[in-house]
Amino acid sequence: MAIRADPRALEDLRGASLLAGLSDEALACLAQAAIRRTYAVGEVIIVEGDPCRVAYFIARGRVRVFRTSPSGREQVLSRLGPGQAFNTVPPFLPHGRNHATVQAITPVILYAVPAEDLRRLVLECPELALALLHDFAERLDHLTDLAESLSLQTVRGRLARFLLEHAEAGQVTRRWTQEEIAAHLGTVRDVVGRTLRAFAEAGLIRLDRQRIVLLDREGLEEEAGR
Amino acid sequence: MNEWVVPEIDLEICTRCGACVEECPARAVEMGPDGPFIARPEDCTYCAQCDAICPQGAITVAFEIVWGA
Repeated sequence: MAIRADPRALEDLRGASLLAGLSDEALACLAQAAIRRTYAVGEVIIVEGDPCRVAYFIARGRVRVFRTSPSGREQVLSRLGPGQAFNTVPPFLPHGRNHATVQAITPVILYAVPAEDLRRLVLECPELALALLHDFAERLDHLTDLAESLSLQTVRGRLARFLLEHAEAGQVTRRWTQEEIAAHLGTVRDVVGRTLRAFAEAGLIRLDRQRIVLLDREGLEEEAGR
Repeated sequence: MNEWVVPEIDLEICTRCGACVEECPARAVEMGPDGPFIARPEDCTYCAQCDAICPQGAITVAFEIVWGA
């Protein structure tokens, strides 16, 4: 049976990395359930802790994802842009809740899929189910490694290990902000900055303009082993 | 050596709050008609304070991670 979906929704959802590789039919199933929504700069899209009602796919614009500590301090977990999704996990939990607050930092166009529709679609469309499983598996893999390193290593150790694993020789393929490094390590930006300066003072690295230059492999290995 | 590499400011996201201008320890950032810009790249030390202070995340101070010679 042909599924008629909004061509604009189809085009926008096709850009989502989570949905890359889905057949036109599978994508149309999702597009048919998706509701196009727009948000202005500063608008809050979902609130941490509220019952999860919707999964979101970003078509245009950027959002920030953050949690708020009991003292009111906001910790930015990530910034997401076109092609990315959020709130895709809680729909599959009984009484699922939003993991974080998400706020538009530019004008944003999202496709919202109600949680109950997402659950129904997973049963009706194995391709979509597999795409979600793949995404969840990758996240679980990363989080398992992170949990292990959080319990076994200090921030210094994790940062040293991170630098050793990501140092490149020759053509550089990736640049990192301190916030990205912090999110990867399960800490905050300020701590990464302080630890990098401490490593520089210890002669393990040098902080050049735009470059973190690793100088002492043995010293960093020793830090990574702590 | 990348002497004149400076932080990247995304003026689409920037709300012109001026925090980066106030906080830059080298006074390298100024507010122009289109938004903040690095007026004195030679003074910028790439300390990443502007990246840290921007409430919108509009400033990117990114690093390559490389082996020293």
